[in-house]
Amino acid sequence: MNTTSQPSSLIERLLAGDSAALARAISLVENETPAAQDILKAVQSKLGRAMLVGFTGSPGVGKSSLVNAYVRELRARGKTVGVVVVDPSSPFTRGAILGDRIRITDCAADPDVFIRSLAARGNVGGLSPAAARVVDVMDAAGKDVVILETVGAGQSEVEVAEVAHVKIVVSAPGLGDGVQAIKAGILEIADILVVNKADLPDADRTQNQLRRMLKLRRSELAPVSVLPTCATTGEGISALADAVEASFKSGSGAGRTDPLLRARRVLANSAAAAAKRWVLESNDPRMTTLSEALQRGELGADEAARSLLEVIHD
Amino acid sequence: MSTHEKDVQFTLPGFEQAEALWKEGYSNQVSDQHVVKNRSGIEIKPLYTSADWTSDRYMEDLGFPGDSPMTRGIYPSMYRGRTWTQRQLIGLGTPEDYNARTREILSAGASALSLIPCNSVYRGYDADEVDPLLLGTCGTVINTIDDMDVCMDGIDIGNVSIGLNDPSPFTLLAFLLGVARRRGIPWEKISGTSNQSDYISHFVANHMFYRLALPGARRMLLDHIAFANQKLPRWNPVSVVGQHMQQGGATPAEAMGFTLSTAIQYANDCVERGLDPDSFLPRFTFFFDISVSFFEEVAKFRAGRRIWQRIVRERFGARDPRSWRFKFHGQTSGADLTRQQPLNNIARVTTQAIAGIFGGLQSLHTDAYDEVVSTPTDHAARIAIATQNIVRDEAHLTDVIDPLGGSFYVESLTNDMEEEIEAIIARIDAAGGMYNAVEAGLVQGMIGDSALAFQEKVDSGDQKIIGVNAFKTEKEDFKIEPHAYPPLERMEAQVARLKTFKAERSQAEAQRALDAMARAANSKDENVFEKLVEAAYAGATHGEICAGLRRELGFGEPLVLA
Amino acid sequence: MNANAHSGNSPIKVLVTKIGLDGHDRGSRIIAAYLRDAGMEVVYTAPWQEISTVVKLAMEEDVQVVGISSLATDHRLVPKLVEQLRAAGLEHIRVVVGGTIPPDEETLLLQAGVSRVFHPGSSRDEIVTDVQKLAKEALQAQSAT
Repeated sequence: MNTTSQPSSLIERLLAGDSAALARAISLVENETPAAQDILKAVQSKLGRAMLVGFTGSPGVGKSSLVNAYVRELRARGKTVGVVVVDPSSPFTRGAILGDRIRITDCAADPDVFIRSLAARGNVGGLSPAAARVVDVMDAAGKDVVILETVGAGQSEVEVAEVAHVKIVVSAPGLGDGVQAIKAGILEIADILVVNKADLPDADRTQNQLRRMLKLRRSELAPVSVLPTCATTGEGISALADAVEASFKSGSGAGRTDPLLRARRVLANSAAAAAKRWVLESNDPRMTTLSEALQRGELGADEAARSLLEVIHD
Repeated sequence: MSTHEKDVQFTLPGFEQAEALWKEGYSNQVSDQHVVKNRSGIEIKPLYTSADWTSDRYMEDLGFPGDSPMTRGIYPSMYRGRTWTQRQLIGLGTPEDYNARTREILSAGASALSLIPCNSVYRGYDADEVDPLLLGTCGTVINTIDDMDVCMDGIDIGNVSIGLNDPSPFTLLAFLLGVARRRGIPWEKISGTSNQSDYISHFVANHMFYRLALPGARRMLLDHIAFANQKLPRWNPVSVVGQHMQQGGATPAEAMGFTLSTAIQYANDCVERGLDPDSFLPRFTFFFDISVSFFEEVAKFRAGRRIWQRIVRERFGARDPRSWRFKFHGQTSGADLTRQQPLNNIARVTTQAIAGIFGGLQSLHTDAYDEVVSTPTDHAARIAIATQNIVRDEAHLTDVIDPLGGSFYVESLTNDMEEEIEAIIARIDAAGGMYNAVEAGLVQGMIGDSALAFQEKVDSGDQKIIGVNAFKTEKEDFKIEPHAYPPLERMEAQVARLKTFKAERSQAEAQRALDAMARAANSKDENVFEKLVEAAYAGATHGEICAGLRRELGFGEPLVLA
Repeated sequence: MNANAHSGNSPIKVLVTKIGLDGHDRGSRIIAAYLRDAGMEVVYTAPWQEISTVVKLAMEEDVQVVGISSLATDHRLVPKLVEQLRAAGLEHIRVVVGGTIPPDEETLLLQAGVSRVFHPGSSRDEIVTDVQKLAKEALQAQSAT
């Protein structure tokens, strides 16, 4: 190992808010190097300061422009900001074009805005497994607000929900079945629904459709606001920022009131990811035995999984 | 006595019989039966016959030059009456440099001018706003009415046509009109073209020419057209540009289809403004890339002419025959030129130029062989002009109007290209017109796909590029001497001159005029371009005008499709 | 079982961007596609980036290679980019330039610290292989600091 990027001094600089250290720490965590564990451990006790905001929605709704406007508003309110932008990876080559962060143009040169792209890395339809960890690292680095932006593809909305305090689902009028694309399950998760491109003719209708769909939610859930915005002109952004603040303070978000629950979720996800990797990549003969038994119908899936855990335990 | 019997009665075989015989002979000689397609994706057969096209279709498909369907040319006499305009692009360094080069060209017999401003000007900045390393390397720095005066020193601007490569908001034209006013030359005598007025093509190609946001650029173009209609009878305010898209990777059919769709969009916008089609259509001109895909380009232009005359009559009810004419300038495509074995580029440019001539262009620019590396040197620029003169005066390629007309292949291909182009126009129509289609990124996606597809052909060796992936040489036997950059001190002096200009003008007048321009931009009925012309005359600089309009009409952000 | 071991096959990260005045991005888009298809993660930007923005991007994204596409004379600014990367403590990052670069200027760029200049006609394999090699160099240099 080496001196300045040795976890301990790197960690010190990270916790002191040094951007270069933050970038390096994110890479180590994202690439799941041995140093990552030390970083994540050190970071655990520093969590809980940042407000975590998730933006999700189909392509074409103007998510990045919206995030751009929201970041500008946050800066005007004196907040430091971290942004994690998740882009899909090719399931075949595992390469990716990370082209979304550049749309967050207004604060591109602002040293108090730190933006990082993450490729989904084979996690088709979902978040990068590292996304939650990267958000934590930014939290520990002292950012007031950490934004997680991802393309809505079913799975990722759920994962965002486990990470973010305030979940924003963005739609826009005129996308054909844009509203239908907001599956009913998402409405259970969202804290705020935004109708972007509110200057377009159908915007009112889209808002009303969403409000009607919200009535299908369970009544004991907190009310969800439907907000119109026009990211390019800045209309509605201030109201959005107020609504996010209000939602955060009312404290219904993920694990905000229970850090232990959050930790359990992190543990569950990490364990699942690790087990999955091992099952798919291992050459262990016990693996083959289990798989064959499963294939022949001798073992049910649950049984096989339980046996697997015993195998892993050794 | 000969043992051979003379074949006294030779009977012509029947068509089908002869064709069958030929097919057999062909198959015996050609084992690889793979399909050949041109860049636009149209299948090209080895042979075309009267089965593909006959002169029964002469009047329907061809007609006579100068008349519908215009396929053979927009004028009855074409090059016999008047050769194409040899309009070579000029732009470098300071206004003095431009003036010197232009005077040389004029005394060498050129009848038309063009002006390429520096990239800094294109981006909407004055010389004191960019890194001096980038000044004057690719065009002339012109920031003020004084600069334009120097550019045109000793030049009779009332009697020479000028192509101003000047995108929206057209400050260079404003400076030129200011110079005319100073010299007592009436604006009615100023002739030329705003040949980069096509903001849609700039947006699509991520061109540095794209300065104002789409809605703002739209407003600016319409004001520009209205102004020219009223006050500049000899000025073409609109040049619809296919070049950027084809250079960006669009196939020839796509480039033509998108360009015609853009022209339809602009014409619709003018009609909505209340302008009569016959008042603006005669002054629509077009600007195309000419690739080295020879027959495809010829067919593209012939098809384009045919489609346009139909569009203006059917969609816009144009009655004036001048509205039906598809006037275009062609530039040989730099995208086909190579850095390796650069003298080969002369052969490429010759091929492209001939394609453009057989395609019936009205004005031609031939690239210099060293343009792949820098602004052309003098001697390379001379070869480029000589190329045009040789094909016309030695090879006599212009003695006959539309000489490829009637070729089974060319007529067949023209019809195929027409179909392909119409399909693209239909797609754009379905997307709500060109403005909406580019705002949504639809066109950019199609162009990106075509660019990638072509690159794959080159990468696989399917498309040979001589000297690059075929017939390569170990060592380069010819060294391009690139054009020297203007000396830094010279450009720094230009920056100093700008400073002096700003210090010596009436600050109050310039500001007042800029404010009036800003107010016009926020109004519904005022003509912004008219106020811009006033501001230029009052001493506002190019950068100040662009910054002011970007504030009021929106900054042109690029659309990036990763 | 060591479920947390990672063999160091993390994807290479490259920034592909344009500085200066020109906007044509046909070439840089194709390069970005080549690199992605070779398994790299490419941060791809709009043209007209300020040099200071490029430095911030390179730092935040922790890239190994910065690729500048230059079709006009914008390559003249690249030495300033190299300088600013060094000043920001990012000297491990390899800078490559692709586009229309006159031969004697290629020499100047290499002397100023650019690792490689790609001319039009460079093959996909050549570009991918060289970028991979340079990325490995960058990672080694980064670990050594």
